[in-house]
Amino acid sequence: MMSPAAVTKYAAPVLACIGLLAVWQVASLALKNDSFPTAIEAISAIPSILGDKESLINILASLRRMAMGFGAAVLVSIPLGLLMGRSAAIAAFFNPLLMVIYPVPKAALMPIIMLWLGVGDITKTLVIFLGVSLPVIYHSFEGAKAIEEKMLWSGAAMGLSPLQRLVRIVLPAALPEILTGCRTGLVLALITMITSEMIARQSGAGNILFNALDMGQYDTVFAMIIIVGAMGICLDAIFERVRARLVRWSEPQFDMPLSFS
Amino acid sequence: MTIVPARSSEWVRPVAQQEPASAIIEIDRVSQVFQTSARKDHVALSDISLTIEEGAFVSILGPSGCGKSTLLYIVGGFVSPTSGAAKMKGQAITAPGPDRGPVFQEFALFPWKTVLGNVMYGPRQQGVRATEAEAQSRALIEMVGLKGYENFYPKELSGGMKQRVALARTLAYHPEVLLMDEPFGALDAHTRTRLQNDLLNIWERDRKTVLFVTHSVDEAVFLSDKVVMMSKSPGRIRQVIDIDLPRPRRRNELLLDPRYQKYVVDIERMFDESDEGGVSA
Ligand SMILES: Nc1ncnc2c1ncn2[C@@H]1O[C@H](COP(=O)(O)OP(=O)(O)OP(=O)(O)O)[C@@H](O)[C@H]1O
Ligand SMILES: [Mg+2]
Repeated sequence: MMSPAAVTKYAAPVLACIGLLAVWQVASLALKNDSFPTAIEAISAIPSILGDKESLINILASLRRMAMGFGAAVLVSIPLGLLMGRSAAIAAFFNPLLMVIYPVPKAALMPIIMLWLGVGDITKTLVIFLGVSLPVIYHSFEGAKAIEEKMLWSGAAMGLSPLQRLVRIVLPAALPEILTGCRTGLVLALITMITSEMIARQSGAGNILFNALDMGQYDTVFAMIIIVGAMGICLDAIFERVRARLVRWSEPQFDMPLSFS
Repeated sequence: MTIVPARSSEWVRPVAQQEPASAIIEIDRVSQVFQTSARKDHVALSDISLTIEEGAFVSILGPSGCGKSTLLYIVGGFVSPTSGAAKMKGQAITAPGPDRGPVFQEFALFPWKTVLGNVMYGPRQQGVRATEAEAQSRALIEMVGLKGYENFYPKELSGGMKQRVALARTLAYHPEVLLMDEPFGALDAHTRTRLQNDLLNIWERDRKTVLFVTHSVDEAVFLSDKVVMMSKSPGRIRQVIDIDLPRPRRRNELLLDPRYQKYVVDIERMFDESDEGGVSA
């Protein structure tokens, strides 16, 4: 027997999904618009997309670019952010640069990048890289800045070199904050992935979606939206599990429920 | 009731103290000025000179904010003084090193490591084999009274428990000089007494040099060879008092010793005088 709290935990999202689909179904039936298929029509288009080899290759190519862009961004951004957090000089150098890049939608840079690097994988991966980098740099920076100085002193007294302190004290101490940045970065990776394929129409999940739109296959359009959304939810859930494992030591000890009574 | 100085004549001073003591730490006219956010210079330490002999237990006593921690950080090499210099064995102190082990007021444990992981960190860094480091660390954890808590994370410990882990973590890598910043401040009276005894035992066994910051006159007299009394704004040394009590010291015996009582009363009186502003600089 599950406890009431457990029932709520598992049943709530399922109910929310069913509710959303029901509203969609009813709205679609009421509007009777060609470009707004019913939920059932959209869902029944999913198996044919996933069953098609061509589409599957496209979706996997998208995921591969996303993984590469995300991975490269994390590998560069974490060290950079940590260095910025621990060195005022490095922060002073990079902060203005990042401030300029920050408000620019990364997809808006695509036409230029396409001009230089073509419409292939490199361009799209680079855009994903740019989209993921900023939140990861920012959170790594904040995490490194907030570290208790005496922790580093303790390390220095034990004989850790500055580089060892960065890797073995700053990195783990800032990990909760870094992973918060990575989680935002993961969602941004998915968004920039689709956007990049929308601009450079050549392959990928975004390409299937917009081709279907051009050809008026609206059930496929909505089916792709569901597929991309589901991918996002799954990736985020997996990441959250990994994150929770890695930073168990920092999670608050007690659940303190908010009471409204 | 009579107060009997218990068998004090039988007590023999340890051999190490009879040898000509050599200076291990020399603090030479050290001043520390901080730029505060109000853009006014704040003199935290003014012209401090102090020599600490090898194997000595020296306490620093003083009101809050008189620069005790700052002085400890300078000896640790974490902060460089505005003027003057600190030396260890004749070498100018420019950086932290494993020869000087700090126990910080703020504990500064590694929160991603368990109690055992924290205590093992220093020995592992120094290249001690994992099995050996673990065995030593477990013994230290037991000594500070935390047996059974080896796999707890710092967030799962109380303030006093964290303080004990911090002490064990520093003892684990055998620094020659211990720099202890109110290490027993957050402990209950019972644990405090126990750890004072344990610290004395370790010190009597290994003859480490200890620089010990405390608020407690009682604790300073009980533990130390020398008590350095500081005064506030700017932080200066008011007086250095040699505590000429026999060792090994046993708490229950010492509490009844009139010489001990006199030290405590005298030092407390000096503090009261400075509170009343009766002492001019
Ligand atoms: N980084 C800093 N910047 C500016 N002022 C500082 C800094 N560190 C310490 N001070 C000042 O120096 C003085 C001495 O500080 P310190 O921490 O050494 O005192 P303390 O004797 O250890 O006090 P307590 O017993 O409360 O721990 C204080 O007045 C404090 O405001
Ligand atoms: Mg202090």
